[in-house]
Amino acid sequence: MSRYLLKRIFIFIPTLLVIILLAFIISVKAPGDPLDRMVTAQDGVTDQSSLSWNAQLEKDRWRTKLGLDLPVFYFSITNAATPDTLYRIYDKRLRETSKRLIQAYGNWEEISAYQTSIQELAKQVELTEEELKKYTDTATTLLYRDTVNETFFQVQALKYAYSDATIRSLLQRIRSLSGQHPVMHPIYLAIEQTQSNWTDVVENSQTIKRYIPTIHFYRNNQFHRWVFGDGNWLTAKGAVNTKGIIRGDFGYSYQTKLPVHQVIGDRMRWSLFFSLISVCLAYIISIPLGIRAAAKRNSVFDRTSSVILFVLYSMPTFWVATLLLMGFANPLTIQAFPASGVEPMTGIPEGTSWLQTIAIRIPYLILPTISYTYAQLAFLSRITRVSMLETLSQDYVRTAQAKGLSQFRVIYVHAFRNALLPLITVFSNIFPAAIGGSVILETIFGIPGMGQHIFQAIYSNDYPVIITVFTLTGVLTLVGYLIADILYAIADPRITFSKK
Amino acid sequence: MSESQTTHTSYYTYAWKQFRSHKPALVSLYVLAVLVVIAILAPVIANEKPLYVRYHGETFYPALSWKKQFVIEGENGKKEIIQPDIAEWKRMSFEKVIWAPIPYSPEKTDRLNSGYKSPQDEQLFMRADGNIVPMPSRFRHIMGTNSLGEDVLSGLIHGTRVSLSIGCISMSIAALLGILLGAAAGYFGDTRLRTTRGRFWSTIFGIAVGWFYGFQVRAFVLRDALSGREGNFLLAIGLSLIILVSCILAFSFLGKWLGKLPVLRTQVHIPVDNIVSRTIEILHAMPTFVLILTVAAIARPSLTNVMIIIGLTSWTGIARLVRAELLRIRGLEYIQAARSLGFGEWEIIFRHALPNAIAPALVSIAFGIASAILTESSLSFLGIGVPSDTVTWGSLVNDGRQQFNAWWLVVFPGIAIFMTVTMYNLIGEAMRDAFDPRQKK
Repeated sequence: MSRYLLKRIFIFIPTLLVIILLAFIISVKAPGDPLDRMVTAQDGVTDQSSLSWNAQLEKDRWRTKLGLDLPVFYFSITNAATPDTLYRIYDKRLRETSKRLIQAYGNWEEISAYQTSIQELAKQVELTEEELKKYTDTATTLLYRDTVNETFFQVQALKYAYSDATIRSLLQRIRSLSGQHPVMHPIYLAIEQTQSNWTDVVENSQTIKRYIPTIHFYRNNQFHRWVFGDGNWLTAKGAVNTKGIIRGDFGYSYQTKLPVHQVIGDRMRWSLFFSLISVCLAYIISIPLGIRAAAKRNSVFDRTSSVILFVLYSMPTFWVATLLLMGFANPLTIQAFPASGVEPMTGIPEGTSWLQTIAIRIPYLILPTISYTYAQLAFLSRITRVSMLETLSQDYVRTAQAKGLSQFRVIYVHAFRNALLPLITVFSNIFPAAIGGSVILETIFGIPGMGQHIFQAIYSNDYPVIITVFTLTGVLTLVGYLIADILYAIADPRITFSKK
Repeated sequence: MSESQTTHTSYYTYAWKQFRSHKPALVSLYVLAVLVVIAILAPVIANEKPLYVRYHGETFYPALSWKKQFVIEGENGKKEIIQPDIAEWKRMSFEKVIWAPIPYSPEKTDRLNSGYKSPQDEQLFMRADGNIVPMPSRFRHIMGTNSLGEDVLSGLIHGTRVSLSIGCISMSIAALLGILLGAAAGYFGDTRLRTTRGRFWSTIFGIAVGWFYGFQVRAFVLRDALSGREGNFLLAIGLSLIILVSCILAFSFLGKWLGKLPVLRTQVHIPVDNIVSRTIEILHAMPTFVLILTVAAIARPSLTNVMIIIGLTSWTGIARLVRAELLRIRGLEYIQAARSLGFGEWEIIFRHALPNAIAPALVSIAFGIASAILTESSLSFLGIGVPSDTVTWGSLVNDGRQQFNAWWLVVFPGIAIFMTVTMYNLIGEAMRDAFDPRQKK
């Protein structure tokens, strides 16, 4: 048995790695730069171009802390024109612009010269801005200030432009702007340079290079760091910022900047609470229900319960939850229960005993519990009934009946144990379900659990949280399988895992 | 001879007979047929534009026409232009007009009746002369309106389209994947698919090359197409796939020759079953709904994307069933006979083995459609994946969630979802019973 379990765990490791990898790919391919979100959210600066020096420093600090300054994966397959140091362009948008330029022209040297000249141009424009500050404000200088400002934005746009027509027209525009005031004349040289560099890029394009694949290897990369931490991969010696997923370090949430496990731990409680309570309730109600229906096949009880359960089974959860809220948490009809949350808005007053806390909370929990339970209940009863029917039609049951055992004994002692197997399979699924929570129900009822948090994380591109959810779900699925296997062996002694 | 023909019933004839005896499922099948007709005819059943108009002596069919504008020779020679998409048809006076049965489009707002007008509420109507009068019964919003004044019944009818097509198309993708992969896994197992080492590695190389030229080189073309129009992206991805497939084929063909060289001649097994089973395991160990949510949130909101995402994540059940069936069938004597007669492996799979293995997959597809419809409505309930201007059953319920008094926004679409899901489940159940030989009476 233990050998079988070990083998199972061993087989699962590559599966788990693939799941982590898939989640990682999604997070890398997602649009937007997490750093922009993290830092601007803190400083309340919405405009990218006006990021303060401090914010820039803060960004750099987080970049190294999160390891975003590393190449993405162990290797990258690109065209021959792409240099292996492209990842060092930290600005995600600029990096993409460079990739597009390389894809279009295939001559990195010229492109990088062109981009350096844009940087020079931007610097010149900033200098001009400084220069202009020395002038006293008159109507004309104000006007020129606007001109410089516009030039600044045009240069920013030029940085991210990648089509020949756009670049040329932007350059033209900057040139005509800079001619308007003597202060801006130093820019002129930079523009000339940029323009000639761009002409170089276009004229010396090396199309063929775009179609030759090359592979670059990176020993130290984001994925490696994510999984194994930034120290020694086996012993985690020298780890500074993260110890890696394999040691339970899931990194920082982009949204809250707290360690992910801290964010999740809080949230997990509610999801776990609801899934456990609903599963227990569902099993307690559904097993007797299913058995009774099977024992009295085609009776009135069997028929009505079958129809009702079938109807319950097909009802969409979000609909039932909304109807429940509309019916029982609505000032216009019956306001028996609060509409959302798990406690009063004001919070539970300090010093209340735990019994009172429960009493306060119960009204909040009833509607969600019903919504969580009903579908599982319907599903489980149907399974119990079908599997019981199958068992009852077997010969050994008939023998038991023939030798005069009571119906109760036949069903609960002899048949039930064999009918258990499908129920065990279902049981193994509740562990992974607990981590995912129920996105829909938690959103509808305002329960501060995992599901709601995942929903927010998806909206705010908080990928560390999402990857963690994927990873933990994978692990818990494995745990569920293992528990199911053990339970199978307990329920049915004929099942052994050792090879004969 | 003739007697044996009359008593002989094929498996499917028998299954159909069994199916028919299941009355609720049969009724569901008929109702479903009606729903399909409603879905197809939705623009004719519920449309803001009239079906037929006679105006200044000229005849138009605005609901059935794609014209962007109608030019009409008015009285005293003045030209009048009607733009059907923005025209206020109900405020114009025509010589003769036939309205659609429900004279509202789902996304067209009725300002006079905005702000959650219930079915029984007093609704208002602006006549052609500009006077506001109580709603004539012909133009009532039978199932009320939402906050913007969009007609709920019209949304329901057009939502039928969304739900049924999501169910059908996503499950077609899933069925295609599931049947192909499941059949290959079950039939070949880990040892039956053999090839030369040369061809094996050459094909693997072909995949890498095809991926490079189809997807890496075209990465930005694909990305730009994704943010452009729907058709463009399908075209672009189609071209990429063609490049990929032709690279694989070319290298596989090259491999045929490579396989004749000394070292590369060695036979290798391709562990098809292992690969497919591991993939299924991976998909099972992932939180599918969270995956769908994440991908739908990243991709541009579009129905096609939702269909593809649901399709790509829900093939595992079908694949498992088909795999299990083929594992059983491949050991049967008639398959061995076919092999010894020298039929090709793929021919045996598709012509001889699969037809006997498809029944459980069909059952799973019926249940799969039900759950795809549920998934889609949950997604649009959360406001993810489906474009915000598309009215679906789920988005209507979401409208209702904002305003608890608007029961009609929750009850009617909810019943529609519930009915459709129930019907598919009933059909699936009846099919399972019909295909199960143990149920034979």
